[in-house]
Amino acid sequence: MMTQANVVIIGGGISGASIAYHLAEAGVKDIVVLEKHYMTYGATGRCGAGVRQQWGTRMNCLLAKKSVAFFEKAQEILAYDGDIEFKQEGYLIVASDEAEAKTFAAHVALQNSLGIPARVCTKEEARAIVPHLNTDAIHSATFCPTDGHLNPFTMTDAFFKAAKRLGVHYYDHTAVTDIRRQNGQIEGVMTQHGFIKTNTVVNAAGGWAKDIGAMVGLDIPVYSRNHEILVTEPVEKMQGPMVISFSKNIYCQQTPHGAFIMGRGDKDAPKGLDMGSSWQFLEAMAKTVSDLLPPVGELRVIRQWGGLYNMSPDHQPIISASRDVPGFYIACGFSGHGFMLAPMTGLLIREMILGQTPSMPLEALSLERFEGQEIEELETSVV
Amino acid sequence: MKHVEVLIIGAGPAGLSAADVLLEAGAEVALIDRSDRPGGQLTKQTHMFFGSQEHYASKRGIEILHVLYDKIKDHPRLHMFSETTVAGLYPDRVVACVSGQRYFTIQADIIIVATGASEKSLPFENNDLPGVYAAGAVQTLMNVYGVKPGDKVLMVGSGNIGLIVAYQLMQAGVKVPVLVEAAKTISGYHVHASKIRRLGVDIRMRTSIKRALGTDHVEGAQIWQLDARWQGIAGTEETIEVDTICLAVGLSPLTELLQQLGAEVIYINELGGHVPRLNEKFETTVEGVYACGDVAGIEEASSAMIAGKIAGLEAALKQGYALEDAQARQAALHTSLKTLRSGPHGEKIRKGHARLGART
Ligand SMILES: Cc1cc2nc3c(=O)[nH]c(=O)nc-3n(C[C@H](O)[C@H](O)[C@H](O)COP(=O)(O)OP(=O)(O)OC[C@H]3O[C@@H](n4cnc5c(N)ncnc54)[C@H](O)[C@@H]3O)c2cc1C
Ligand SMILES: Cc1cc2nc3c(=O)[nH]c(=O)nc-3n(C[C@H](O)[C@H](O)[C@H](O)COP(=O)(O)OP(=O)(O)OC[C@H]3O[C@@H](n4cnc5c(N)ncnc54)[C@H](O)[C@@H]3O)c2cc1C
Repeated sequence: MMTQANVVIIGGGISGASIAYHLAEAGVKDIVVLEKHYMTYGATGRCGAGVRQQWGTRMNCLLAKKSVAFFEKAQEILAYDGDIEFKQEGYLIVASDEAEAKTFAAHVALQNSLGIPARVCTKEEARAIVPHLNTDAIHSATFCPTDGHLNPFTMTDAFFKAAKRLGVHYYDHTAVTDIRRQNGQIEGVMTQHGFIKTNTVVNAAGGWAKDIGAMVGLDIPVYSRNHEILVTEPVEKMQGPMVISFSKNIYCQQTPHGAFIMGRGDKDAPKGLDMGSSWQFLEAMAKTVSDLLPPVGELRVIRQWGGLYNMSPDHQPIISASRDVPGFYIACGFSGHGFMLAPMTGLLIREMILGQTPSMPLEALSLERFEGQEIEELETSVV
Repeated sequence: MKHVEVLIIGAGPAGLSAADVLLEAGAEVALIDRSDRPGGQLTKQTHMFFGSQEHYASKRGIEILHVLYDKIKDHPRLHMFSETTVAGLYPDRVVACVSGQRYFTIQADIIIVATGASEKSLPFENNDLPGVYAAGAVQTLMNVYGVKPGDKVLMVGSGNIGLIVAYQLMQAGVKVPVLVEAAKTISGYHVHASKIRRLGVDIRMRTSIKRALGTDHVEGAQIWQLDARWQGIAGTEETIEVDTICLAVGLSPLTELLQQLGAEVIYINELGGHVPRLNEKFETTVEGVYACGDVAGIEEASSAMIAGKIAGLEAALKQGYALEDAQARQAALHTSLKTLRSGPHGEKIRKGHARLGART
C-alpha cells in the first residue's frame, strides 16, 4: 500500500469515485481512495439510481441539471467499456391533492427559470405518459423528459476505471480507523493496513461520514437512517419514466433488463446504521404500488434490502472545505439524492482543493451554513 | 398476526427431526415447506442408505421419511403448512409466507431454519438448452413423478449423487454411456462407482463438458480433457450422442433467508458455500434463530437428522421445557455426529467445520 499521498479520499461510493476522477483529470498525482468493504458497498450500491432535475430548491435544481449534462456524455468522457445505462425517459411526479399540485406548480416555475424543461400535466396527460397509472389515485402531475436513471454499479465503475487509468490508487477492504493531526494540521490517515502520510483528506463516507468527522473533532450535523427498497422479477418493458410521489411515499422505475425497482421512506425508522429489511416495508410498498400502478402490483418480489440516507438539516448536501480543520473536505448529507449529484460533487471538491474558481456559489453547500442559523430553505421534494 | 412458539422452515430430515423433539417436549410447532409433501430430499430417495445401522443404513430414504413423518403427523400441537414458501425472515422473528395467491405473516418465539440446499450448475456453452438437468431434478422426475427425463444421458460429476442417479437411470431403462469427472479420483463411494462400471458406464477422469449441442433441445454433448490447471485441452474434444445432460456438481446451502435476517454467514468451500456461524447449540448469531441440516453445510440425511434433534432440544430448553435426561441426550447426539463425521469420508466436513470455527 502507498505510504504517502497528496490526497486521501475516504469512501468507495459514487462520491469518492467522482472526486477521485475529477482530481486526477486535473493532473493531481498520488491520489488514494480507501474503502472499508468494496466499491459500492454503501448507499451507492443500494440506491434507486434515479436522476431528476425537478427539485424545490434552486441549489438542488442547479446541481442536478449540471450533473445531467455530465451523465449525458459520461460514456464518452470516461471512455467506458461497459454501459452506464443512462435512460432519459423522464420523471413523472404525481400530486395527490390540490395543495401538493400548487407546490409543484411553483417548483416547475423555478425549474423552468433555470432552464429545466419540466411541465405540469393533467391526469389524462400523465396517463398518456404512463398508461398503467391509476389516475383515480392522483390529482395531477409534473413531468421532465430529460430526467431518468442509471445503473449505479456501472456508473461507479466507469468513474473508477477512468480514475485508475489516470493513476489513482484504489484500496478496498481497507477501513480508516483514525486521522492524525499535529498543531491543527492533518498529518495522515491510519488504516487497518497501515499509515498513509497526507495533508489532504476528503470525507466521502456516506452514512458513516459523521464518524469520519469525529476523527478530526468535527461534529457534522448529519444523521443516517435506513431506507428500504425492493426489486421484482423482470418483465417486458412497460414503463419509461420513474414514477414518484412524496405524499404517497413511493418511487418506482423499470430497469433496462425489465425488473421494477421501488422504494419508500419510513419517517419512524430509528436513526442509526441499521441496513436491515422489514416485513412492514414489504407490505406497505406492495399496497402503495398496487394502488398507484396496479399492474406492477401483480409482479413477484425477488429481493428487498436497505441502505442509508445521510440526512442534513436542510436536505441539501454538504459539499464543503472545513474552516476549522485545514485540509479536510466533506461531501456528505446528500439526504437521499447523492447519486444523481455525483458529477458536481466531484467537480466542486476538486475546485476547492485546487483553489479554482467555483462553478457555483458554495455558501449554500458549506458546513458552516448551519451554525446558529434557522434552517433557511428546506427541500421538501424527498421520498 | 398469527403467533406460534416454534416455527421450523423446511420439512426435510432436519426439520422433521427438530419438530419431533419439540413436540415431545411440549411445544407448539409450525412446520412450513414449499413442497406439496414433507420429506425434503428424502421424498425422491428410493435407494438404500449408506451409513450406520443406528442411522437407518440399508433403509430407503423414502422409508425413513415415513418413519419420521408418521410419528408426528397427527400430533395436536403440530401445524403443518405445505405448499407454503417462506419468502422473508425478519429480525423480529416474523416470517412472510406465500401460498398460492395468499400472503401471510407468522411470528414465533423460536425459528429453526432447515431449508436444505440447492443444486449447483456449471458454466458451459448452451447450458440453458432444454434437456440440461441437475441430478436432483432428474431424480425427482423419475422417483416422485414417474417421468423418464430422456433416453440417453451424459452424467457430469462422480460424487455419490452422480453415481446413484446414474444407477437409477439405468434401472429405469435409460442409457448412461459416459460419466465425466473433472478431478483425478472418484469423489463418491467406490462401491457405487464399481456398480455402474459393471453396468458398462465409461467413467472418464480429468474430463469435463465443453458445450451442449442442439438448437431447441439437447442432441449431444462435446466433452474434453482437462490439464493439471483444470483448463480444457484443445484437440481432445469428443462428441457424445445424448439427449439429456445431467449435472451432479454439488449443492450449495440455501442461506438466503439467514442472510436477509442479518445472521452472519461465512464462505466455506468444504461445506458447499456460504454457511451460518453457529454456536454449540446450533443457534445463529441472531438470538432465537437456529439452523440445522444441509443449510449449515452440505452433508447427509443421517447427520441432518441428528443436527435437527440437537437444534430441537436446544430450542425446547430455551423455551423453558424441562426434558428428561436433556444433558445426556445432548452429549449422545454430539457423539453420534462426531462418529458420523469420522473416517475418510468425513474428512471434508471436518476440515470445513475446523475452518469455520477458526474464522473470527
Ligand atoms: C434505498 C436508497 C435509494 C436511493 N435512491 C436514490 C436515487 O434514486 N437517486 C439518487 O441520486 N440517490 C439515491 N439515493 C441516495 C444515494 O444512494 C446516496 O446519496 C449516494 O449513493 C451517496 O454516495 P456516497 O459515495 O457519498 O456514499 P456511499 O455510497 O454510502 O459510500 C460511502 C462509502 O464509504 C465507506 N466507508 C465508510 N466508513 C469508512 C471508513 N472508516 N473507512 C473506509 N471507508 C469507509 C463505506 O463502506 C461506503 O462504501 C438512495 C439511497 C438509498 C439508501
Ligand atoms: C441423490 C441423493 C442421494 C443421497 N443419498 C444419501 C444417503 O444415501 N445417505 C445420506 O445420509 N444422505 C444422502 N443424501 C443427502 C441427504 O438427502 C441430505 O443431506 C438431507 O436431505 C438434508 O436434509 P435437510 O433436512 O437439511 O434438507 P432437505 O432434505 O433438502 O429439506 C429441506 C426442505 O426445506 C424446504 N424449503 C427450502 N426453502 C424453503 C422456503 N424458503 N420455504 C419453505 N420451504 C423451504 C424444501 O422444500 C425441503 O423440503 C443424498 C442426497 C441426494 C441429492
